[in-house]
This record gives sequence, structure tokens and C-alpha cells, in this order.
Amino acid sequence: MNFSLLLPEWIALGTLLILIFREILNGPKSRNSSGIAILLTGTALLLLSLFFLRNSPGSAFGGTFVLDSFAVFFKIFFSLAAFVVLVSSRFFFRPLGGEKTAEFFLILWCALLGMLFLVSANDFLILFIALEIMTLSFYILTAYQKGNLASIEAGVKYLILGSLASAFIIYGIGLLYVVAGSTHFDSIQAAFAAQPGHKLLLLSALLILSGLCFKVAAVPFQLWAPDVYEGAPVPVVAFLSVGSKAAGFALLIRLIFTVFTPFDHERKILFPVLAAMTIIYGNLGAVVQKNIKRLLGFSSIAHTGYLLIGLAAARDSGLAALLYYLLTYALANLAIFFVLSLTANELKSDQIDAFRGLAERSPFLAASLFIALLSLAGVPPLAGFVGKFLILSAAIRDHLMWLALIGILAIPISLYYYLGVIRSMYLEEPVHTASITVPGSAKLILGLLITGILLAGFFQSPVFRIVENALQHF
Amino acid sequence: MRLFLFYLFSGIALLSAVLVITLSRPTRALLSLIVALFSLSALYLLLDAAFVAMANLIVYAGAVLVLFLFVIMLQGIGAREAPLIGRFRLSYLWGAGLAGVAFLTLLIRLLGASGFQKSKIFSESIAQFGETLFKNYLLPFELASLLLLLGVCAAVSLVKKEDS
Repeated sequence: MNFSLLLPEWIALGTLLILIFREILNGPKSRNSSGIAILLTGTALLLLSLFFLRNSPGSAFGGTFVLDSFAVFFKIFFSLAAFVVLVSSRFFFRPLGGEKTAEFFLILWCALLGMLFLVSANDFLILFIALEIMTLSFYILTAYQKGNLASIEAGVKYLILGSLASAFIIYGIGLLYVVAGSTHFDSIQAAFAAQPGHKLLLLSALLILSGLCFKVAAVPFQLWAPDVYEGAPVPVVAFLSVGSKAAGFALLIRLIFTVFTPFDHERKILFPVLAAMTIIYGNLGAVVQKNIKRLLGFSSIAHTGYLLIGLAAARDSGLAALLYYLLTYALANLAIFFVLSLTANELKSDQIDAFRGLAERSPFLAASLFIALLSLAGVPPLAGFVGKFLILSAAIRDHLMWLALIGILAIPISLYYYLGVIRSMYLEEPVHTASITVPGSAKLILGLLITGILLAGFFQSPVFRIVENALQHF
Repeated sequence: MRLFLFYLFSGIALLSAVLVITLSRPTRALLSLIVALFSLSALYLLLDAAFVAMANLIVYAGAVLVLFLFVIMLQGIGAREAPLIGRFRLSYLWGAGLAGVAFLTLLIRLLGASGFQKSKIFSESIAQFGETLFKNYLLPFELASLLLLLGVCAAVSLVKKEDS
């Protein structure tokens, strides 16, 4: 058996164990920051091992665990996102002092581990357990600020609705097992190909897809997103909006284009409708928001809509556009939440009004937020524009003119609410005038993210090559 | 030998079951419940029902009761409570009697029915069972343990009081 394929997972598990034992042995004494040093080293090793494994595809555990270029792409994506989130949570929790962060980092790391296994799953059993590891971690992380009632409320809401979605998925998997007699992707695909009209198979595919649509917050499974985004600690929202959503889309892509291929006809009816509803709901919902985290919750629903266009369009152009969009979305969202976790303790409020005059208090943070928000809105020449352009042209190429039209019409709406934040930062007078100091390491990471947004906007071909390389097995 | 083992494990099962309702510390009562389940599993093994024995061990003794143990320990290890037997009331006999009658009818019905055979699914040997679990389903099995570990960490971090 090819155990070396699981090297990134071994490294992540080892890091987790070191962290747990360190916490158990040191007890309350370990409330300093050296725990994060272990995790950052772990992330670096993880990336290094992925770099070595990137050209050696293979499978382990009887084909139930696969490492193809698609999985490697997403593992690198998750590790980098986790790196940024770890650093930003350090800045977020440091001034809060009293709250212990060791468990926070530990559970965050568990979420990353779940994602690593999730994108390699080639068996529904592993898929489900990995998905549960990821979502269970997010329930806890959402409710982590025990002193904050909104955080606990968000955690409970997410737990109840998320468990319902998980129940949908496991019910679907059970039905698949009834028909195919196995949970392995290959044998289920064979069962689908043998009897494509089987009612139970259709039902189970529908159940599993609805569960996954919940995870990516697509309409009509989106109700949890704004509440959870509003209540959860800022770094958690960052990881939720980037990592969890990307994991959901990775699963959707893998399932739709391998196991559920016989449903290609149904896919072309279902996903354009889902995408259109999600874009409209997300953008209209965001317009009236006064709380920036809630606004970003609605905006993330809107972006899910654009990403779903990638699934609705033809496979070749759609998938590449989807991954490109996901990258640009991740860069912008990570930058925005990085800024929010730096300002959260200074502003002491998530209201958009609290951002009044941020440009005077910290020009660097305001400029970063400015660029990242414009990239989310899709203003050229930033990365978000290229992502939107690719997604919409994929829709047009697949004769989904009406869907592309909705996507284009939603852009001015999104500009309106993103510019509302920007106006507040640049044009209005600050309430407090004390300047906000930004640590050097935060400046470095934020600078890198902004550079990424600019570069992916100006030079599309290197990014596009990464994306195509990831999709070579599809 | 079989007979001796049968009486031995039945004795342990009965004794620990009595201890469950007479001990005053919840942790000890729980531990004796685990012992009772272990000896029940041994009885199943003697009846050649390896799958039932293993499922009993893994699901009840392994997962459910250890979960109980965590809950009790989170509440406070030293807490002394009146043993279950001390809270016995005569009115409980009604429920117990009803359940007993139901169980007896079921048993008589089942034993009375002819053609009572060993189920095919459960007749696999314990070696086959182990091989399936640790070969074909090794990765999900290990991942499930990670999920449990996460559950424990999550419970601790949510329940723990802030000391500031």
C-alpha cells in the first residue's frame, strides 16, 4: 500500500498530536503564543510535502483515498488559507487576553485535517466522516467566544441546521448503498451507468447534492450563512467562507463529474436555476445590511451563485472558470477578514458605521480593504474581474444567455453595497482619531494577499495554467 | 470448560449489574456497567455470535459508555449521589412488570416458532469481521477515532470555565 501518498495527512496528524500533548502536559501554563509556532511549522511542512507529491498521482487504501492533481490543488489551497487564518486569529485573540486560544488552534487544525481528507475521498464513507470532522470543528469554532451571546447563538443555529444537512447526506449515502452494495465511488458510478433511471439513485443524488449545497450556502439552503457569519469570531468566518466553501465545491465538482455523470441532463436544468436564485438572493440581501460581517455573509452567498454558474456551464470552460473564480474570491475574502480581525479590537463593533474614517486612522488597512472589496465586486483590472469574466463567458459559450445576464446585472448591485463600506472609510469623518498600529508581520501577509489580487488580475496565464493543471484528470 | 466459562461470565455480569444500582459514586457505577457489558460480550462469544459480541463491545462498552464517563467526569468526579437502589419506589414495579411481560411474550413467541435459524449475516467468524474492519474499512475506522477525539476536545473547550 502506498502510504507515502498520505504524507501531508501524517504531518497534519503529527502536528495535532504534538499540540494536544503539549497542552495536556503544560496545562494552564501554555497560554503563550508558541503553540502557533508549531502550527505554522506544520503548515510549512505540509506545503513542502504537497510540493513533492504534486506530480505523483496515485491511490491508497484500496482506491478509497486518491491523490490526483485536483486533490493536491485543493490541499495547497486549504493549507495556505489555514496559514493566513492562523496568523489572523493570533492578532484577533491577542488583545482579548482572557480567552484561551490553545483549543481554538487545535480545533481549527482539525477542520484543516478534515478538509485534507475530504478532497482525497473516493469513497462515501470517508467523504462523510471527513465532512463531519470539518463541520463539527466549525460548529465549535463558531461558538468559541463563550462570553458573546451572538457567537453561541450562531453556533447553535449552525449546529442544528448543519446536522440536518449532514442527515440528508448520510441518508443519500445509505440509499446509494442499498442499490450499489458499496460506498466506493467507482462501483456507484457503475451502478448509475447500469440503471440511470433508477428512482432510488436519483433520490440519493438529490439528497447528497442538497446537503452539499447547504455547505456552500446556495439558495434555498442559505439561511444559516448570514447569522453564522455575524456571530462567529472573525478568523472563523474567514476560514468558513474560504475553506468550507472551497471544500464544498471540491466535493460538488468531484461528485458531479465522476459519480453523477449520468445525470448530466438534470445538472443542466438544476444548476442554472440554483445559480440564478443564489446570485439574486445574495446581492439583494446584502444591500440593506448595516453589519459588515452580515453583509459579507450575503456577499458570500452571491459569490456561491457565480461559482455555481461554473457547474451549470459546459465542463471544460466551466470548471476552469470556477477554480479561477474560487482563487480570486479566496484572496479577496482572506484579505478582507484579515483587515477585520486587525480592526475588530480597535473598533469594537461590526457595524459599517464603525469604519467611518478608517482611511485616516490606518491608510494601509483602508487601502487593503478598498482593493479587496473592489476585487470582490469585479472591478477591472483586479483578480475578481478576471474570475467574473471567465465565469460569465463560460455561461455565454454554453448558451445560458439569461444566466449571464443575471450575473452581469448583479454586478452594479454588488458595487453599491461594497462602495457603501468604502465611502464610509474614505469620505466620512472618523469618530475616534487615534491611529491603528499594524504589526509588521500582519503588513507582510496582507501585502502578499493584495499583491496576489493585483497579479492574478494582470497576469492571467500563470494562474490559468495552475487551474488547468489541477483539472487534467477531469 | 464452556460451561464453566458460561457460569463465570454470567456471575460477573449479574454481580456487576447489581453493583451498578448499589454503588454511590456515578463513575464506579458506570465502570461496573462497562464490566457487565464486557461479560455479556463474552457470553455472546460463547454462543458463537461473534458479530454481536464485537458490536456490543465497540458500540456500547467502547463508545456510548465512555461518552457517559466523559459527561460524568465533566460534571465533577467526586460527586456523590444516592445509589439508584436508594431511589427505588414501589410504583416503578408497574413499568418493570410491563416490560418483563413484553419481553417474555417475545421470547416465547420466538422460541416457539419453528425453523429458528442462525442468521446468515451474523454467522461470519470473528477473524473475517476483524479483517473487514481493519483492511477494507481501515481508513474510515481511523478517521472515526479522529472525529471522536475532536468531539472530546470540543466538549472540553465548550464546557470548561474561563479562569480569568
